[in-house]
Amino acid sequence: MTMDVKYINPFIAAAKNVFKTMLGMDLMLGKPYLKDVRATSGDVTGIMGLVGDQKGTLCISFRDKGALFVFKTLIGDECDSVTPDVVDAVGELTNIISGSARGEFEKAGINLKAAIPMVVVGKNVEMNFITRIPIISLPFNFSVNNGENEVMFLDFSFE
Amino acid sequence: MKVLVVDDFATMRKIIKNVLKQINVDSILEAENGKHALTVLKGDAVDLIISDWIMPEMTGIEFLKACKADDAIKKIPFIMVTAEAQKDNIMEAIKSGVDNYIVKPFTPEKLKDAIDKAKARAAQ
Repeated sequence: MTMDVKYINPFIAAAKNVFKTMLGMDLMLGKPYLKDVRATSGDVTGIMGLVGDQKGTLCISFRDKGALFVFKTLIGDECDSVTPDVVDAVGELTNIISGSARGEFEKAGINLKAAIPMVVVGKNVEMNFITRIPIISLPFNFSVNNGENEVMFLDFSFE
Repeated sequence: MKVLVVDDFATMRKIIKNVLKQINVDSILEAENGKHALTVLKGDAVDLIISDWIMPEMTGIEFLKACKADDAIKKIPFIMVTAEAQKDNIMEAIKSGVDNYIVKPFTPEKLKDAIDKAKARAAQ
C-alpha cells in the first residue's frame, strides 16, 4: 500500500508555520524517507492520533538538545535536562502542529479530529501507528544556541 | 495591564505568558478553566481575558457567556484562543460577544494586534 502525496504537504506546511511563528525559526526540510521500524526517532516524542475522514498517527520527535531548545524558546525558562515541563512543552508543540495540520487538511476537504497528545521519552521506543502503510519520516533541520544543527523528526502514517 | 490567562494546560498558559512578556505585559493571572477564572475575577480586577476554547468543567464559550452576562465584568476585553481546525466555531463566540480571537500558532506581534483590537472593541 502507498500513501497519497497530498497527505504530506499539510504536515510540512504546519511544521514550518508553527516553528516560524512560535519559535521564530525556519525549518529546513531534509530528505524524507520511509521508516522500516515502528519506533520513536528521537529522545522526546509527542504522539497524536488523528481520526475522521482519514486516520493515522503524527509524531513530533526531538533529541534531548532539541527538546531543551524548544522548551527554552516556548516557555522562556532555562532547563538542562528533560524534566516533565520539557516533556509537556513537546506535547503542546505537537498539539499545535497537529491543529495547524488539521486546518491545512480541512482546506483540502479532509476533516480530522485529534485527541490529547501523549509524549514518550526514549529513543527507539516501539509504537503502534494504527495504519498498515509505511511510516514517512520528514527530518527538519534547525539551528540551536550557537548555530549547532538539530533535527525535528515529523513521522506519520496516514491512510 | 493585568491579564487573566485561562487554559487547562499549564504549558499553554506558560507559552502565552512568555509571549505576553515579549510584548511587555508582566502582570498575569492564571486559571485552569472558566469556573476557576470566574472565581479569580471576583477577587482581582483584570484588564483583559485570554481564554482557551476547550476546557473541562466550564468551556471557553460558557465562560465567555458568563462574563458577558455579568455587569461587573462584561466590559473586560475577551480574546478567545482557538486552533486552526476550530475556526468555524468562532462564529458562536462572536455571537456571544467575544471581542477578538486569535488562532494558534501566533507571534507576539499578532497577539499584540489582537489585544489592541479587543480593547478597542470592548470600549465601544
